Amino acid sequence: MKLNLNWLKGYAVLYLVFLYAPIFLLPIFAFNDATVIAFPLKGFTTRWFADLTTTPALHGAVLNSLFIAISTAILSTCLGICAARAGARFSFPGKQGIIGFIMIPLVLPEIIVAVSLLVTLLQLGLSLSSWTVILGHTLICTPFSIAILNSAFATLDPSMEEAAYDLGETKWSTFRLITLPLVMPGIISSFLIAFTISLDEFIIAFFLTGAEPTLPVYLWGQLRFPAKLPIVMALGTILVAFSILLLTLAEIFRRRGIAKAGGRDTGGFL
Amino acid sequence: MTDAIVSLTDVHKYYGTYHALRGITLDIRAGEFFSLLGPSGCGKTTLLRTIAGFEDVSSGTLLLDGKDMARVAANKRPTNMVFQSYAIFPHLSVAENVGFGLRRSSMDSAAKARAVDEALEMVGLKGYGTRAAHALSGGQRQRVALARALILKPKVLLLDEPLSALDKKLREQMQNELRRLQRQVGITFILVTHDQEEALIMSDRIAVMFEGEIAQLASPQDLYRRPLTRRVGEFIGVMNVLPATVSGQEADIAGLGRAPVTPDQAPSGMPEGTAGAGIRPESMSILYDGETTTRRTASGEVVEVFYYGDMTYYDVVLPGTTKPMTISMKNVAGRPVLDRGTTARIAWDAEALVLFGDT
Repeated sequence: MKLNLNWLKGYAVLYLVFLYAPIFLLPIFAFNDATVIAFPLKGFTTRWFADLTTTPALHGAVLNSLFIAISTAILSTCLGICAARAGARFSFPGKQGIIGFIMIPLVLPEIIVAVSLLVTLLQLGLSLSSWTVILGHTLICTPFSIAILNSAFATLDPSMEEAAYDLGETKWSTFRLITLPLVMPGIISSFLIAFTISLDEFIIAFFLTGAEPTLPVYLWGQLRFPAKLPIVMALGTILVAFSILLLTLAEIFRRRGIAKAGGRDTGGFL
Repeated sequence: MTDAIVSLTDVHKYYGTYHALRGITLDIRAGEFFSLLGPSGCGKTTLLRTIAGFEDVSSGTLLLDGKDMARVAANKRPTNMVFQSYAIFPHLSVAENVGFGLRRSSMDSAAKARAVDEALEMVGLKGYGTRAAHALSGGQRQRVALARALILKPKVLLLDEPLSALDKKLREQMQNELRRLQRQVGITFILVTHDQEEALIMSDRIAVMFEGEIAQLASPQDLYRRPLTRRVGEFIGVMNVLPATVSGQEADIAGLGRAPVTPDQAPSGMPEGTAGAGIRPESMSILYDGETTTRRTASGEVVEVFYYGDMTYYDVVLPGTTKPMTISMKNVAGRPVLDRGTTARIAWDAEALVLFGDT
């Protein structure tokens, strides 16, 4: 048993190194004073970060990505609220099948989704723009939103809504006064996760983007110029830090929501 | 009935093909404490939710205070509900919970605050208004739920198994308080419960339900002493039922022998021929050595002993029968608890018998 445990410990450490070592390389080279990404390190600099501020194309890409991510987060969270509320409260014929189909984009290869969407949009005669990217991102983010909101709605006691209605409120004011505040942590969590997914999504954005690239598409374009690599590293560092912050916030809100509704944690994404 | 606050006539409720309520006709009087009692799945909660307006009736009529409720939604009915889970809003304070129903009233905020204070005082939670609702204990939640439902002064208060989540001591205490509160406010209470003891203690009248139908509607005493069917008798407390043959005004009961019976002892009509003869555990007693009696006697073998402290329950098999019957004895000083295997003499009274058409 002792030996077994040591093996498992070793495995766990190796696994974590494999998972995180490349990410740790990002900040190391982002602060390295050389254009070539290679050891040994040459010295400390922050000029790559300074360069970030003087690249207008990059700023455009960041703004575009933020617009797409916020729109996607709002859309997929709204769709998620409707689906999760219906799934938690009502039983209707074919419910299992419908929920299953909604969740399928979670496991579909994104390249397939991207190509099919592109073909469909072109057939419909729609021109590619930020809106087409939002459409594609909403498609892949909605299942995540539903999964998160499902747990928020499922832990909500149905008697809560009935009690408010019984005390004279209307269906809508019951939703606003009772349901919404109680699932709000789930809504925030869903919003943050959809935002994060959309922000760093590449394949769909690459296929469906119009004249203005998103941040990941812009980054991919920059990789052709070796001199720009350290700037990409610097940007990557900022993005990783930002993503970790957002996911942490999302998880905090999800747990707080479960505690608030008096339920037990049945596991989330983190 | 003229003073009926709730009046149901031939109410049916279907869920798809499932027939949950099968022709309920029922009048509940203003100001009474009424209980719907039955095993789980008997339709008692469905009936309560129908009165509240959370379920609509498939056919039949429901009148509240003389008005047809067919087109009236739950939020417009003169009823309020205490839920099994209490459904205390966890994001609001105790006072905000209790005052929730007053949001739409025309009272000014000072009057509302006074009403909330009064409601809290009524349920024994004076000064709890500013507390967070999620930090309350089970009994306190129950009280907040009561105050919240009573603040609107409904015509009818509906209680859906409100005590089932509490432990035994607290449940008994709340039973007392609910009864006191009902007398104090004079509002009609309709309680759903599966606990027959709770229904007996608290109610003015009880409707026993099985499979979506009312099996018997009576006062607690009539229900216990004169159950209409064997099933009601066995559901309310313990009822020993022995096979019997009835001819005219005499019953020949297996293990007990012949005894005279009157029509009063057959609430569902005097059976003729094979019947069931029911007798409660406390209507029989065990005779100790040297004890004499003028009551009827029989004898049997003690096969099981259940010691409860204040009482002892004996399972006794009478000659010529297979199913043991239960006899309860008070544990008074100088009266030893019998051992299993003892042959015991039994005293019983013919007047205590209840006759059922089914054996």
